[in-house]
Amino acid sequence: MNTPQTVTETIIDCDPVIVIEQLADQSAHQGYYGLQDASLILAEAVRELQLSQEADLVPMVSDWSDLVARFQFDPRSTAKEILRYLRRPELKIPMEDDEFDMLEQQLISDANDACNAKNANDDPDRHLIGQHIVIIEQLADQAADENLYGLQDANLLLAEALRSAAESSTITDIDFPVIFAEWAEITASYRTTPSISAAAIINFLRYPGLKIPMDDEEFSMLQEQLTTELSADELISARDHSLDLEPLISQDSQTIGNDLPGPVSRVALELVDLLLLQTEQVRSHLQHIVIDDKESLLTGLQQASDALERFANAAKTAGFEGLGQIGVHINVNMQRFTEHLDSFTSAHLELLLEWLGQVQEYLPVFNESSAGQLIVAGLTDEQWALPLAFEELAAILLQIRSESSAISDHSEVVRVTFATDDDVSIALPEDVNQELLELLLQEMPVYTRQFSEAMQHLQSGGNAKDVEVAQRVAHTLKGSANTVGIKGIAVLTHHLEDILSACANEQKLPGRALANSLITAADCLENMSEALCASSPPPNDAKNVLQDILDWANRIDQEGLADSQDKEIPADIQSGVNNKVETDDKPETVQSSMVRVPTEQIESLFRLSGESIILNSQAQETVRLMKNQLRTMQLQFELLHQLGAELEQLIDLKDFSGRTLGAVGSGLDALEMDQYNELHTASRRMAEAAIDAREISLDLNKELEKMHEVLDAQQRSVIDAQEVVMQTRLVSIATIAPRLQRSFRQTCRMTGKHSELTLMGENIMIDGDTLNALIDPMMHLLRNAIDHGIESEEERLAQGKSNNGKVVFEFDREGNYILVRCRDDGRGLDYAAIRAAAEKKGMLQPGQDISEDELKRYILQPNFSSRSFSTHTSGRGVGMDVVRAQIVNMGGTLTLDSVQGGGMTIELRVPLPLSMTYALLTHVGAYQVAIANKSIHQIIHSGEGQVVVQDDKEVLLLEGNSYPAARLINLLHVDDHRSRYPGPYAAALLVKNDDQTTAVLIDAITDSQEVVIKSLGYYMGKIPGYIGATILGDGTVTPVLDISELLRAPIRAVAHVYAEPLAIVESVSLLPTILVVDDSLSQRRSLEQLLMDAGYRVLLARDGIEAAEILAHANPDIVLTDLEMPRMNGIELAAHIRTQQKYKRLPILMITSRTTQKHRQMAETAGVDLYFSKPVRDEELLMKMQDLLNLAVIKTCEVA
Amino acid sequence: MHPDDFKAFQDTGTADQSDLITTKVEAIFGIRTGSMGFLVPTTSYCEVLDKIQVNMLPNVHHWVSGMLNLRGNLVPVFDLRVVLEEAVVDNKKRRLFAIDRGDKAVALWIDGLPEITDRASLQPLQKLPVLPELLQHFVIGGYQLNGQVWLDVKLSDLFKALGHHQYSMEEV
Repeated sequence: MNTPQTVTETIIDCDPVIVIEQLADQSAHQGYYGLQDASLILAEAVRELQLSQEADLVPMVSDWSDLVARFQFDPRSTAKEILRYLRRPELKIPMEDDEFDMLEQQLISDANDACNAKNANDDPDRHLIGQHIVIIEQLADQAADENLYGLQDANLLLAEALRSAAESSTITDIDFPVIFAEWAEITASYRTTPSISAAAIINFLRYPGLKIPMDDEEFSMLQEQLTTELSADELISARDHSLDLEPLISQDSQTIGNDLPGPVSRVALELVDLLLLQTEQVRSHLQHIVIDDKESLLTGLQQASDALERFANAAKTAGFEGLGQIGVHINVNMQRFTEHLDSFTSAHLELLLEWLGQVQEYLPVFNESSAGQLIVAGLTDEQWALPLAFEELAAILLQIRSESSAISDHSEVVRVTFATDDDVSIALPEDVNQELLELLLQEMPVYTRQFSEAMQHLQSGGNAKDVEVAQRVAHTLKGSANTVGIKGIAVLTHHLEDILSACANEQKLPGRALANSLITAADCLENMSEALCASSPPPNDAKNVLQDILDWANRIDQEGLADSQDKEIPADIQSGVNNKVETDDKPETVQSSMVRVPTEQIESLFRLSGESIILNSQAQETVRLMKNQLRTMQLQFELLHQLGAELEQLIDLKDFSGRTLGAVGSGLDALEMDQYNELHTASRRMAEAAIDAREISLDLNKELEKMHEVLDAQQRSVIDAQEVVMQTRLVSIATIAPRLQRSFRQTCRMTGKHSELTLMGENIMIDGDTLNALIDPMMHLLRNAIDHGIESEEERLAQGKSNNGKVVFEFDREGNYILVRCRDDGRGLDYAAIRAAAEKKGMLQPGQDISEDELKRYILQPNFSSRSFSTHTSGRGVGMDVVRAQIVNMGGTLTLDSVQGGGMTIELRVPLPLSMTYALLTHVGAYQVAIANKSIHQIIHSGEGQVVVQDDKEVLLLEGNSYPAARLINLLHVDDHRSRYPGPYAAALLVKNDDQTTAVLIDAITDSQEVVIKSLGYYMGKIPGYIGATILGDGTVTPVLDISELLRAPIRAVAHVYAEPLAIVESVSLLPTILVVDDSLSQRRSLEQLLMDAGYRVLLARDGIEAAEILAHANPDIVLTDLEMPRMNGIELAAHIRTQQKYKRLPILMITSRTTQKHRQMAETAGVDLYFSKPVRDEELLMKMQDLLNLAVIKTCEVA
Repeated sequence: MHPDDFKAFQDTGTADQSDLITTKVEAIFGIRTGSMGFLVPTTSYCEVLDKIQVNMLPNVHHWVSGMLNLRGNLVPVFDLRVVLEEAVVDNKKRRLFAIDRGDKAVALWIDGLPEITDRASLQPLQKLPVLPELLQHFVIGGYQLNGQVWLDVKLSDLFKALGHHQYSMEEV
């Protein structure tokens, strides 16, 4: 097969289509049919492009040949690149997404086939397998010594299965080296993450190829044994005794795919691959040089020189010291060439390319004794600006020989120098084990939080225990992530563990700079954890973070900890975060088994439990009515009994009077013998029946009493059930602590201020929806506190304050309210500036007498700012008014307290959602309403107080106090009132609202009862004063009102029976709006959260077409777009935007992975204002975006 | 189908041509409110409610008739006749038509009973009748059949707009 080099040369001379078709043929010959298809598809596309002459095909085809060449070595990752390549919009390949997916499947299938074929060709050394089995049996013995009998059983089962497989013909079905390596990893991690690894062990043993004769039940029992037998106390001790399996793994790796003359470790092979990749970069720069074009020559040589410098450094780091030295020497030559461009000829270029070719030949065979000669040949040539002296050459050659064996035997992982996107990917493997993943998702947030806490302790002092905790957590996370297959977490924690191990070994705490890097990495880990739990987008600065950690780790490897500590203290991180959590005294969180349940299911449970309560209430009501009726019936029975008795008396009297109705002519006197007739009989029977009926009613009453008791018990039970369901909706405020901390640090970095954030009471549990709604206002407060409140370091020192500002977020629960206090020790409110701004806006007359309390209220007015300039963080025209509007919308209040020069405290008071409440039922005109008893201080009945009119306002006079009065009928704007109570009021409710008590006058209280509050449904928005509605015992629906909210919330002003839709500006629409256009969901979500946290309103579009549709009816302040997108790409979108008059000045910012000048120029031509190449730092993006926004405002003002 | 009919679909731009060509019979509910008819997809869960109490709410938009208790679920009741700005009639002579279930259930006052029609039998309107502004935002097509105008409306968006309450900022 052609090497990339020869292909590129061929392309220049030959028809690119023919070259690609040749590549297709070669692929088919090698059995890569997917690759053949891909090449043929590309050939077709290139043929079309040739006809339209739209693109420069040479580099395009050259890239393709590189990909084809790489596919053989690394098929899986190259398959994705191939697909990305074919999806390039400029190729215009007419294929649908599912067709691309099929092609990718084919490519992966080719890769698997190739891998299987390779494995099948290997001839496993039976002796080696025997050794492995012996080692597994030793592992079993060791497990038994540690009383880990489950692990012992697992090892013995595997050993037995492997022995059977080795003895049978199925041996070729099992990839022994891979199995041993995997088993070693899993069992090693068992001692640190028993629950995850237990599942992994069972999963491993269930592999059909092993043919272990156990059924599901037996596997379950073994898993249970594995999970339970390793108690928490044993974890640590077991870790210390774990068998070192590294030699086994490295020994195995030597047998995998190694066709070199001598044994070379897998790590060494990876290093070789990496260096080969870097030589390609140098080559690529050199090949783009046009000798006659000075500019091209200069740029090409400089870029090649930079790339070569990186190559030389990497070579040295990887242990190729000799190669590194030669690289440095060649680089010096290249710099000489750069200085004397006139004398640079094609022969020199040839010389450089030739040397690169030699390096590429040398690297794959570096461990051969004569290999070194390859890279030194020709270096003494006089054509070099600085030929290598013979003595130097000999010395280098000697070094190359001595180091070649050292590198190839390298069994330790040599640290890489550069972080790649793949290294930080948290994508799940295709064959991810869901069970393991679920376990990891449960454990990860706990571990990442522990790691962050340890890092925060270290940053503010800390001790060796924190290092130990962090190291243990990093180790555990690494093991778990490796088991599940999440590379991003595994790689980052691996390097973190190494750094922390170095600290522990040298018994030193990390210095300030290292601690800052570690805390950034902790943030990144938490972000990754949140992203995996799908509660936030993946971190977009992960690559930078890993690079930073790699730099530290490499520096520590080379120079040790002490030397590294004093070097390069990054100046950009100056903030500190301190969670006041008494973690030291707190027992470690015990992990109980958990189940992930969809939110809808919890909602349904909650609704059903509410239903049960309502049905119970209805049953109770029916019982109550039945008892009342029974009581009435009993009275009737009494009456009947009484009447019966009277009737009997009357009949007897008639008998005495001699007018008997029967027994005529018997000859006996009435006194001599009682004489009865039918009337007697009937009256007696009636009296007896009345007595019987009374008895039965008494029995019935007893039964009803019993039923009442049962219903009471049932009510308690369903209320308990509902509370339990409610608990599932509660989350700890601490869950948003990392987000607050990140935003805080980011703002500190952007403002250059030194400050410390303390969170207090963050362990309070509140409703998840309320917490989500609180995030935005809290972010605003945080940014305002740093930007407006905290002074600069110099200013603080001059005022005798500590150089570090302090911001405290305090959470508290008061009754049914959650209190959030944001306190800072900054400059407080500048009353003079507020007065000046108010005077300027005409809200205040110059010199007008006004109290500080009244001045404070101005900053709650919309668009009121005392600042004359905007900043990158909070100067966006967004102020306290927005925070207040958001809080009021939630039915809460905001209060300010400020001491000039001493700081400010802002208190948010937000009601928590209720599920049940005690309510008073009343009528307002034709409406029946239930008034929740919260904030009702006292109920006053008519006659207890007196309503009088003072200053045209009604007040209630009661026991010497006067309370401002408001009528419920007016609060609800019901004006067709037909009161059934002619008096001024039937009852008054004293309601505490903010600092004052108001008397709310109502018609009458018709009933009072416990009611279940239900939501008004998906389509009904928030109605001021409504908490929800309830279904009463008789099935009617009644709104449940919060009187205090009704008193302070904005309500309808139109005097009409029904509300008119009056347009008000939504608070969120006051924020600057950003339209984010990106076809990647994760990128969209990531940008959305970043921008929302920074105080912007965000609109999202998946591609240019969707963005154009949004632009038709929305007016964003800035557009942030990706370049490559389906249907309409970023450049087309920018061009489309610029065709519209109203968007001529709309700032457009492009973020893309394309770095070439060509793309940049295309974007500029299309109208893009700012072009960012990924990765982009969040702070930089926010700053540049704000600059663009400010510029747009200035331009608009100028035009106006 | 007559070629002119096909052209009419293209002119109004209200129907998906591919659907038109491939779909043979597509049943659709038609409900009448005042002078207008509204189309409701048969894929939605629908039911006619009889003798069910509507409980009024104070201080809401006048097209919100109130809430009803539908097997333990609270369901808002909207009056599209009010949205159409037509004279209010006695609701005792009207029926309630509920769309969807659970949290997303909505009830509408309708005149008469719902009809089931084949969408293909509806004649697309070249031009929509004059409609109140609120409704205009959500109408995606208009048809007629035997003199009755049938509006194709983005129902979910319309209900969301009808249920969204806006108030003056004036405080009492």
